[in-house]
Amino acid sequence: MSTASKTLDANDARLSPFEGGGKMIAVGFGLGAVGLGGAAALGAGAGDHFEGFLHSYLVAFAYFLAIALGGLFFVTLQHLTRAGWSVAVRRLAEVVAGTLPVLALLSLPIVIPTFLGNHALYHWADPAARQEDHLLHHKEAYLNNTFFLIRMVVFFGFWSLLARYFLKNSTKQDETGDPEITTKQQKLSAPAMILFALTLTYGAVDLLMSLVPHWFSTIIGVYYFAGAMMSAMATLIVLAKYLQGKGKLGDIVTVDHYHDLGKLMFAFTFFWAYIAFSQFMLIWYGNIPEDTIWYAPRQVGQWIPFSIALILVHFAIPFVGVMSRHAKRKTGILLFWAIWLLFAHWMDMFYVVKPTMIIEHGGEAGMLHLSLMDPLCWVGVLGFFIAAIGMGLKKHRLVPVKDPRLTESLAFENY
Amino acid sequence: MADHRPVDSVDPNNLPEYGLLAQYEDVTSLKQACEQVRDAGYSKWDAHSPFPVHGIDAAIGIRPTRLPLLIFGAGATGTTVAVLMQWWMNAFDYPFLISGKPLWSLPANIPVAFELTVLFAALTGIFATLGRNLLPRHHHPLFNNERFARATDDKFFIAIEAKDGRYDATRTRELLESTGAVAVDSVPDDSKINASLPKPLVYFIVASFLAGFVPLGIAARAWFTKSAEPRIHLNPNMDFQQKFKTQSPNPLFADGRSMRPDIDGTVAEGWLRQDDAYYRGLDADANWLVGFPQQVEVSQGTMARGQERFDIYCSPCHGTAGYGDGPVARRAAELKQAKWVTPSSLHQDYLRTQPEGKLFNTISHGIRNMPGYGHAIPESDRWAIVMYIRALQRSQLATTSDVPDSERAKLR
Repeated sequence: MSTASKTLDANDARLSPFEGGGKMIAVGFGLGAVGLGGAAALGAGAGDHFEGFLHSYLVAFAYFLAIALGGLFFVTLQHLTRAGWSVAVRRLAEVVAGTLPVLALLSLPIVIPTFLGNHALYHWADPAARQEDHLLHHKEAYLNNTFFLIRMVVFFGFWSLLARYFLKNSTKQDETGDPEITTKQQKLSAPAMILFALTLTYGAVDLLMSLVPHWFSTIIGVYYFAGAMMSAMATLIVLAKYLQGKGKLGDIVTVDHYHDLGKLMFAFTFFWAYIAFSQFMLIWYGNIPEDTIWYAPRQVGQWIPFSIALILVHFAIPFVGVMSRHAKRKTGILLFWAIWLLFAHWMDMFYVVKPTMIIEHGGEAGMLHLSLMDPLCWVGVLGFFIAAIGMGLKKHRLVPVKDPRLTESLAFENY
Repeated sequence: MADHRPVDSVDPNNLPEYGLLAQYEDVTSLKQACEQVRDAGYSKWDAHSPFPVHGIDAAIGIRPTRLPLLIFGAGATGTTVAVLMQWWMNAFDYPFLISGKPLWSLPANIPVAFELTVLFAALTGIFATLGRNLLPRHHHPLFNNERFARATDDKFFIAIEAKDGRYDATRTRELLESTGAVAVDSVPDDSKINASLPKPLVYFIVASFLAGFVPLGIAARAWFTKSAEPRIHLNPNMDFQQKFKTQSPNPLFADGRSMRPDIDGTVAEGWLRQDDAYYRGLDADANWLVGFPQQVEVSQGTMARGQERFDIYCSPCHGTAGYGDGPVARRAAELKQAKWVTPSSLHQDYLRTQPEGKLFNTISHGIRNMPGYGHAIPESDRWAIVMYIRALQRSQLATTSDVPDSERAKLR
């Protein structure tokens, strides 16, 4: 079709900053205060040194951190590959990644107590345990309170700065239209990608793998990344549909953009299953106690139906559901699967974090240990996440209007 | 054109018409022309361009391809075949237990299932694409038109076949001219004449096909024939080394052996083992030793060591409490193994009264169906195990008087 001539007026109301952002901030802070306040009150009342609260909180925190990191990866990847198609949706990804400074603040309830020696979440944070347990003693050079704090500062600092940098330069280009900014972003993206891979891997090792400090899996970083990309793509689809419903973006984001976001989301559902199975199979056939310690409690009691449901909800059902081109081009259907997979991602984080209460903290075997704090924490972190996105949408144009590749993205067609 | 075999029924000078070929200068006019031809109701026609054109399939009116369904079916077939194949191989035709997993075990099947799914889907995709596009094909009547060479360069074409039900030499030409074609040519159909492959290509294909049987033939010959010839030695330096091997003759020695026997009266350092009590469990009169040799310290430490070694080496058959009910024994009983001899319970009277030296000897050299463990357990550990067995035996006949005063109070 001869849409190559489609151009944008920088003052087009469909791309101007989102007026509803203020409402998102207000609602977000409300949800955040109610959710986290309620969960913290329940946690304080439980009298278990916040063990239950911290586990529920880590599930929710790792959930939204994954989405933000997935957004950051998407932005870096588009610059690295000099992609044209994605320009129309790149600002949304930049805004999602722009929530990372807020998530850095939200990491404090995990980082500060652990640094101060609360070992209700991380068993290794207890100096006495490190003395008694030979393996923890052996790993002490890495798994100790001070070095953990240092690493968290470095990781969250790097992610926040990188996300801010991409967003700041991109919005500067909205004003100046300087194509040099694109060149600069592209140059940065290659080293940024390497550092991203390292920080995400070690971030997953520290936040998730060290929950069971005897256990090790060299693939855990890739596992977390797979879920991160999938849920970030789902979030972009939901966000674009939401803004279009509010009269923004209009026909700038076309069915072809949804189609490609859907393809990536579909690919990473499968990638997640591939990685999850790779981790499982090596441990299954090796059958060595220090490896199986992670899976064994997940195959007992209530965890049996939960584990099987995870395979179905996170992989088998959406794999068949999103496979067809039709499902990706009917944006209503795609929205359904995006929301479905956002739920699957919550199941995944719950599956990774919660059994720690059984393995490390003497919780009753076979129980899910599902509590009211789980939904409350999720709603709470969601609130702050929505508020952070609202801040970005309220402040910036919704599309990089002067990006040199925008014309290419507007004319994008898919097969 | 020497390669082309004339066919009797077709006169090369009076060929039937293939159809009309219209040339366009740019992609926009091509797409507009396609829409007009489509709307005129033609079905046997095609568009040609040097590069893929977005939206051309809609302009031509091509229905969405059904290839994805075919590929999905092939992928599902691949998964099924892989799982069935592995079941048949590993659980049915040749049951083979690997590291204690079930014979038919889904996790082990998944990698192969994944690979076969991809393989079946990919090969079906390739061959179905070729098949539905009638490829490979070495000649097409449109190649006779000189203009058409630029279809791979910078010009755009529409070709309508004469076979189309709506085709009419005059009206179709008028239609194409009205769509903005810069030239409309009639193309002769020489496919009857040029249908056959060029001779050298035919020879090459036949020769390749036949050559493919040569390795199979060699393998088949080797399989079915017997040969008295020695095997071929590709590296004689390695196959025939200038040295004497263990069982080979050696002319240097009077007895002709390469292996030299020990010289009488020699003992390797540390292997003299004169202490009968410690190494053989015998006292000075060559009776079974009662009690422990002086080197063995009767202590809590030795006892703990004995328990650990007992649990490792003895308990699989004798059970951790010594009743002859270890997991191996229970499994054998479960399988009703005819040749299995139940391990002895260590709590029988004759074993309770047996001298320590005799127990040591049994561990070292075995008894009845029990193999010796002398090769696997050093003497100090064997004595520690004997000590632990004594404790086990006493524990099963213990009375309240055996319980220390401090603990006795708690029993009530």
